[in-house]
Amino acid sequence: MSSLDWVVLVTTLVSIVTYGLYRSRGSNTVDRYLLAGKSMPWYAMALSIMATQASAITFISTTGQSYVDGMRFVQFYFGLPLAMVIICATVVPVFHHARVYTAYEYLEKRFDAKTRALASIIFLCQRGLSAGLTIYAPALVLSVILGWPEYMTTIIMGVTVVTYTVLGGVKAVTWSDVQQMVIIFAGLVISLVTVILLLPSTVSFGDALFLAGAAGRLNAVTTNFDWNDRYNLWSGLIGGTFLFLSYFGCDQSQVQRYLTGKSIAQSRLSLLFNAVAKIPMQFFILFIGAMVFVFYLFVQPPVLFQQVELKRIGKLAEYEPLSREYQRAFEQRKQAALALVQAHNAGNTPGEDRERAEYRAAQKELDRVRSGAAKLVESTGGEKGFNDTNYIFLSFVTKYLPSGIVGLVIAVIFAATMSASSGEINSLATVTVIDIYQRHFKRNASDRHYLWASRWFTLFWGVYAVVLAGWAKRLGSLIVAVNKVGSLFYGSLLGCFVLAFLFPRVRGTAVFCGMLAGEAAILGTAFFTDVSWLWYNVIGCVVVIAVALGITHGSMEFGDAGD
Amino acid sequence: MPHTRDVPDDAPPFLGTWRRVYTATLIYLVFIIFVCYLFTRVYR
Repeated sequence: MSSLDWVVLVTTLVSIVTYGLYRSRGSNTVDRYLLAGKSMPWYAMALSIMATQASAITFISTTGQSYVDGMRFVQFYFGLPLAMVIICATVVPVFHHARVYTAYEYLEKRFDAKTRALASIIFLCQRGLSAGLTIYAPALVLSVILGWPEYMTTIIMGVTVVTYTVLGGVKAVTWSDVQQMVIIFAGLVISLVTVILLLPSTVSFGDALFLAGAAGRLNAVTTNFDWNDRYNLWSGLIGGTFLFLSYFGCDQSQVQRYLTGKSIAQSRLSLLFNAVAKIPMQFFILFIGAMVFVFYLFVQPPVLFQQVELKRIGKLAEYEPLSREYQRAFEQRKQAALALVQAHNAGNTPGEDRERAEYRAAQKELDRVRSGAAKLVESTGGEKGFNDTNYIFLSFVTKYLPSGIVGLVIAVIFAATMSASSGEINSLATVTVIDIYQRHFKRNASDRHYLWASRWFTLFWGVYAVVLAGWAKRLGSLIVAVNKVGSLFYGSLLGCFVLAFLFPRVRGTAVFCGMLAGEAAILGTAFFTDVSWLWYNVIGCVVVIAVALGITHGSMEFGDAGD
Repeated sequence: MPHTRDVPDDAPPFLGTWRRVYTATLIYLVFIIFVCYLFTRVYR
């Protein structure tokens, strides 16, 4: 990184902290510290919701994903508007009128203390694990790309987040998120414009779209139904709806964002903004990845984007023939791409079909050699299931983007990490204070006592997240598995809330048993079948509802309505 | 600890009722899926 990049990065980080703290003045009661005194406007909540959901790995990984697999990941978000409408119509007014600090507090009002405790513990386990990963995953990628030690990026991000989250509470989190989203949007737009400007002068934007499409990188919609296929129209619409219902309706890291609204209308507007803006935003990010793919049709990409592993296998005897094969495959693909564009622009249909077949065959050959290099990494003591998708975008940024913009894109990664992490830490502290500490340990203390407890628990979760991020590498595949399937926990939480809202006859014990059965069903599906994780939420939710209704029905026959 | 205060349930700033806003959101979803589908077909 150049001096200009450092100036951009440091200025961005300092301004995020300063602005967040400035806007959070007066957070001196629990209500103001945890819910911003219910004073937030819709646009601040909207950007905060978006920022909390979009972690750094979303930007790094999504662009890489469209580079290797095309844009079909966008379908994952098709369920979001549906989920937002359902949440606005049902969950938002109920939570506001219940005058709760957390989603789980409402469960005690509706069911009983044990259901609230179980839901809170499920949330703390799931969010607690992902809090460390939110910091660790980008720290790992940045350390490989920039050559910084992992602990350095972890500590910079961790200390910054903890500072403004502890001092300013939810107001600081929300206003920092607003600024972070502005930086993220600016960084993404500049990245896309720069990628397009970097294309060879002989290749127009229309040619770039044509080439990306011909290589299957603009496949935004696939209509085939397959249980094992993660991203198609149906898994997005059905599985995605359930996932987003769980995330935005039952996960405190999101519920807390819209509970800060100054009215129910403001909370609804913030969610509906996400319903409208999220799909175009993801489309845009994926499109950047597709354009990076086109850029690398004309500039030879490295065999592997993970430089540490590439250097390691570069010293092996097996690498030399692989490297030569790769260079040949790249040249073949480049010539095929140019010939295809020429045939297309000349309106030569039979020639275009022939050239398209050549181009696709050359792409397959290049993929085959790259996969050979990945296998070489695995077979010579590297990571099992090695995948360098997360390194593609940042590797491109640091190598080809001009000075200053590199600093801005690195700032985007930091901003995205901090926005996701601050929301997590803030919500973990809120659930710990409200649902555990105040409910089970210290019931009638003063507001000042709970304010300080909230600050201390925020500090605790912040330090925990940083320490866990430091340890994440040693936890290896376990932690990766947990990150991958955050939906291991969401289905049963969603089932519990669906029962709370839609089935007035169901009582606490039936729900409690249903949640345990739902969790068992999700874990069974995850470990013993190949069903894609997007369906776990559907399965968990359905099992919770079915078991709870079964118990309620059975109990009513004995006259005790499930309790 | 005191409960949080209740907040008003206002009408939406456009389209008159929330039902209409929700319907507009769902129409938008159908539209955007259609646009993505067209995009895929054109550049397949």
